[in-house]
Amino acid sequence: MTSERLVLTRSRAWDVARAARRAIPWTRVGIVAGAYLLCVVAFAAFAAWRGANPVTLLPTMLQSSLLQPSALAQTLLRAVPIGFAALAVAVPARAGLVNVGGEGQLIIGAVAATGAGLLVGSHVPGVLGVLLTVAAGALAGGLWAAIGGVLKVAFGAAESVTTLLMNFIANDLMLFLIYQPWKDPNGSGQPQSRPLAGSIRLQPLLGTGVTLAVVLLVAVAIGLWFVIRRTGWGFALRVVGGNPVAAMRNGLPTRRLAISAMGVGGALAGLGGALNLIGVEGQLRPDLTATFGYVGFLACFLGRNDPVRVTLAAILFSAIALSGNGLQISEGLDGSVVNVLLGAIVLTMLSVGRKTAEALT
Amino acid sequence: MSITGEILANAIPGSIALVFPALGELVSERAGVINLGTEGAMLAGALGGIATAVGTGNVWLGVVVSVLCGAAGGAVHATAVVLRGANQLASGLVVWFLALGITSVLGASYNGQVVPLLAAVAVPGLSSLPVIGPVVFDQNPLVYLGYVLVPAIWWFIHYTRTGLVLRASGERPAVVFAGGHRPLRVRFVAVCAGSAIAGLGGAQLALGVVGNWSNGMTNGYGFVAVAVVIFARWNPFGVLLGSYLFGVALAVSSVVQAHGIASNQYLLDALPYCVTVLVLVAVSTVGRNSAPESQRDALSETS
Repeated sequence: MTSERLVLTRSRAWDVARAARRAIPWTRVGIVAGAYLLCVVAFAAFAAWRGANPVTLLPTMLQSSLLQPSALAQTLLRAVPIGFAALAVAVPARAGLVNVGGEGQLIIGAVAATGAGLLVGSHVPGVLGVLLTVAAGALAGGLWAAIGGVLKVAFGAAESVTTLLMNFIANDLMLFLIYQPWKDPNGSGQPQSRPLAGSIRLQPLLGTGVTLAVVLLVAVAIGLWFVIRRTGWGFALRVVGGNPVAAMRNGLPTRRLAISAMGVGGALAGLGGALNLIGVEGQLRPDLTATFGYVGFLACFLGRNDPVRVTLAAILFSAIALSGNGLQISEGLDGSVVNVLLGAIVLTMLSVGRKTAEALT
Repeated sequence: MSITGEILANAIPGSIALVFPALGELVSERAGVINLGTEGAMLAGALGGIATAVGTGNVWLGVVVSVLCGAAGGAVHATAVVLRGANQLASGLVVWFLALGITSVLGASYNGQVVPLLAAVAVPGLSSLPVIGPVVFDQNPLVYLGYVLVPAIWWFIHYTRTGLVLRASGERPAVVFAGGHRPLRVRFVAVCAGSAIAGLGGAQLALGVVGNWSNGMTNGYGFVAVAVVIFARWNPFGVLLGSYLFGVALAVSSVVQAHGIASNQYLLDALPYCVTVLVLVAVSTVGRNSAPESQRDALSETS
């Protein structure tokens, strides 16, 4: 924060206004809380209209995502791809780039991890196999996203559109591999890739049901917080994002920074995809990512590009996404009904949250 | 007919399904709002059309409902972006998410139900033109609506007073306000109208091309529309060309398979998106000067 002020000199009036706004505006807090409450009520009304029991709706959702230990573990496991996809948005965002390609980068990460995993099989020790698959996933995700960065700096193609379109290419690429070269002959007709060797799979830690991937997500989030605030690279990213012209005039390599920001973001998503594959899935299948990449994008907005808050938002969204399973089983609703709640929450945040959040911090 | 000819002919219904959302996106962007929710509007339009067609047996009533569903999606986006200043890209994705959630719940009972496609109507005279006649002028009425809408929207935005206000709202809203108009109101209406047109695209896809409902059936058409508008340099005739290019890439897959040529369906399925990215890159190299001024950087807004 202090270093940011040195470069982006702000007027004194701005500081005064900021101090004045520190008093908590309770009316606005009430409005915002009411708006979020309205989201839940609207969602419950929608679900009730489709035949769910409005009384048991929320308890069911909480039970199937947070309250039972096994459900909580599932929530944390699913937060891994969502959280890494969200961090993949947060890093380029610091450099003023919009990465909507988290979905495709998750897929490419999982694809590369599968490729590496199938290649080494059980010929190498488990730890080495895990490291190889994870590294392959991160590298592939990074390269995939860097394409968007290169197209941006070399040709001026809007990175938000190219990364978005590349999601569909990634998905088709995965389907091609699942249906032909990597098809599982023992899949009994199910389209899926051959499973990875058991030695490459992540095992739950000490009977908690949670794998190392969750720990890694938290560690990476905190690490990124540090990198963005305390390293030269992170500082340069923020300068480029804050004022690209000033950054260029000061001799910062803006083009290289843009590509590296996209690359690091993609590597994070690729890592998430790889960890999800070796931790949960074990093999490629269609709908592997199930819009986790887009959920991550929205989580990043909810967490306002701050790595730690973004990760917390990802865990919240993971819980919401998972509660869809409970609704599907006990209420007979389609599981994607929770997308409505998710969308409503982000819409509320986008519409009413902005001003209050500024006032509160 | 040669395979090439067949691909060029088969491309028309699919590319018209893209012309609508791209025209809708164009109207919205010309007024100064990028709408990724076009994908959601299309999805809502597709389900609305199918559900109405199944429920009432009237396909044309289905088309009307498609338009209304699309407009509803647009209203959500416009409320967030125009009235509340939300980030355009995030709000657009949210609209898509809402549409995805709502349609997958409401559409569950329509999965696998086949709806009769809109019947083709040959235009007297024109359809007997050699070569192109049967291909271009023997289509369902929505395709003709697409043909007409392109010059109509071009004329509207360039040669009417309302169109001038619309364009000015996208360039310099302050000037529009000083001129006694309300740029925010113009934007709000433009986003809704654009999404309504995108809803027509959903109708063409569901009732004119596919003939049944499946979850997330729009498959990124609404996102491709955003790229097509950039390719078209915000000009409706360019939209027609860009959509046709995409339609051709899309038709390659089905025609090649129908001929039993050994190939992988999924790699061919990726072709339209690859073409779109490449075309986008090629056009971006030339410069983006034709983008409406107020949203020249809107595709890179990070908060």
